[in-house]
Amino acid sequence: MTVTAILPAKGLADRLTGTFWRRPGLLLLLLIAPPLLWLGVVYLGSLAALLLQSFYSIDEFSGVVKEEFTLKTYAELFRAQNLDIIIRTVVMAAAVTLACAILAFPIAYYAARYAKGPWKAAFYLGVMLPLWSSYLVKVYAWKLILAKEGVLTWAASGTGTGFLIDGILTIPGLEGSSLSTSPFGTFLVFVYIWLPYMILPMQAALERVPTSMLEASADLGATRGQTFRTVILPLALPGVIAGSIFTFSLTLGDYIIPQIVGNSSRFIGLAVYQLQGTAGNIPLAAAFAVVPIVIMLIYLTLAKRAGAFDAL
Amino acid sequence: MTPAVEFANVSRHFGPVKAVDGVDLTIVEGSFFAMLGPSGSGKTTCLRLISGFEKPTTGAIRIFGEDVSATPPHLRNVNTVFQDYALFPHMNVRDNVAYGLMVKGMGRARRHARAEEMLALVKLEGYGDRKPAQLSGGQRQRVALARALVNEPRVLLLDEPLGALDLKLREAMQDELKALQHKLGLTFVFVTHDQHEALSMADHLAVFNEGRIAQIGTPQDIYDRPATRFVADFVGSSNVLPPELTRALGGPAQWASLRPEATRLAQTGPVSGTVIALRYLGAGTRVVIRAGETEIAALVPAGQPVPPEGTTTAIAFDRNALHLMGTD
Repeated sequence: MTVTAILPAKGLADRLTGTFWRRPGLLLLLLIAPPLLWLGVVYLGSLAALLLQSFYSIDEFSGVVKEEFTLKTYAELFRAQNLDIIIRTVVMAAAVTLACAILAFPIAYYAARYAKGPWKAAFYLGVMLPLWSSYLVKVYAWKLILAKEGVLTWAASGTGTGFLIDGILTIPGLEGSSLSTSPFGTFLVFVYIWLPYMILPMQAALERVPTSMLEASADLGATRGQTFRTVILPLALPGVIAGSIFTFSLTLGDYIIPQIVGNSSRFIGLAVYQLQGTAGNIPLAAAFAVVPIVIMLIYLTLAKRAGAFDAL
Repeated sequence: MTPAVEFANVSRHFGPVKAVDGVDLTIVEGSFFAMLGPSGSGKTTCLRLISGFEKPTTGAIRIFGEDVSATPPHLRNVNTVFQDYALFPHMNVRDNVAYGLMVKGMGRARRHARAEEMLALVKLEGYGDRKPAQLSGGQRQRVALARALVNEPRVLLLDEPLGALDLKLREAMQDELKALQHKLGLTFVFVTHDQHEALSMADHLAVFNEGRIAQIGTPQDIYDRPATRFVADFVGSSNVLPPELTRALGGPAQWASLRPEATRLAQTGPVSGTVIALRYLGAGTRVVIRAGETEIAALVPAGQPVPPEGTTTAIAFDRNALHLMGTD
């Protein structure tokens, strides 16, 4: 039997693999072309259309969109009532992000450094499980939990801690007849709903910090607090930023939670929803929708300048 | 003189695993001490017991006479060069080296000046602004060394620091480490699984096996007079002779070791066997002879005739090269 240096190509798969080997760019192109088209045309295209709309204005008498470029619509954003909405939304998003980061860190740290085998599985299950049930069901469930007749008030009065809830409800800006009608209730539900989106990227970032680096820090004389500030936090920061992009932008855009829980004061998402629907003011809705994009860009620029991505 | 490090009957058990099991150890101040052993023999755990990353299950550890059982790592005046160097990737080289001073609260200007001095000591002047990712393996190793020395520890611990370097660089670093230790007069405790490294660098070494110290002594002691079969096997490329073979060679019926370089080939002799393998080493040829169940290696110096594989030859040796030892 003769042995040849080249084995015969059998079938299409052999020939295709050969073609891809000779032209490495081809496979890559074939793989990324469809998602790139989707991203480029459908996704960025609609974003561009949105941006375009925000530069139009609406005729105040006829209610018809005037298709000429103007900054009038953006100027409207700075009217007191609209500015209120923006500030309220940004403050809420920032508070939710901060609370999520503080709550998520110990959980993510435990999962990344200590959880092994079945405990790790339990962690993933515990974090992901709430994501499996309907968003609306969870929000309504919280409305019931936070209601005046709800389990939280009941437990508080049973343990004699009702004054805590009453105290929160008298804080200026958080007033309400119960937690479910207070902005604090809105905050709680936001934190609950978006927490997994903070935990998962944080845990992924912390998992990449080798134990020896923490040991080196302690070895060189650092206390736990110093190690946290100078080693763990900077190295986990890309994960924290990734998580905060989720919690921040999801809160910025959400229009359902503030409708169901809280005092019905308007948030950006709700404003967009109402402006494009009942009010029919598409340009102002578009201008409102641009606000979260601008805020996120500013946030990322600041984060980059602060060195948040140096460890990437 | 108070020993730099002292272990009194120290054990560290992980569940059923006895990583370190009843170790007594004294490391003299100013010595270059190596802990040698195969992986899982307990040497690294011993190092971590000194740095404080492990706590002994039983027994006491003293550093310069002080019991450190209740002392956390950051309060121990010992520093470690980690196996993976563990440089902080988000800091430049200067901040890495100055880290120990920074956490102690030294001002920026002073600690940076000190860091530059340390970088000069390890011959890395001018590298302060680089990130660890921009350095080669050998350079990272030096940064790790400078970082560990900046706090002026009384004992420097090195966990297989040369393991990741290629052979030539490793040899150069061995010389440099040795010179540095001389210059600073510090106590170095060095963990390695490489017997050549341990023998050439250390002035004292402990050979670990299964959580215990098999032998402790100078490199000459360990190499020439291995206490156990394990030590002879692991440290040298020594021949380990079973009792019957020792007796056939004219000794008592005991386990013995015989170094290949003391073993010669002869025309006739009490023990003979078949040449089963030849390995050319440059300065000589290592000839492996199978005699019964035992394989015996002999080093034939360059220039002398080497028997081809498959031929039968007898072995001879210098009488005082035969070293008797224990059974374990």
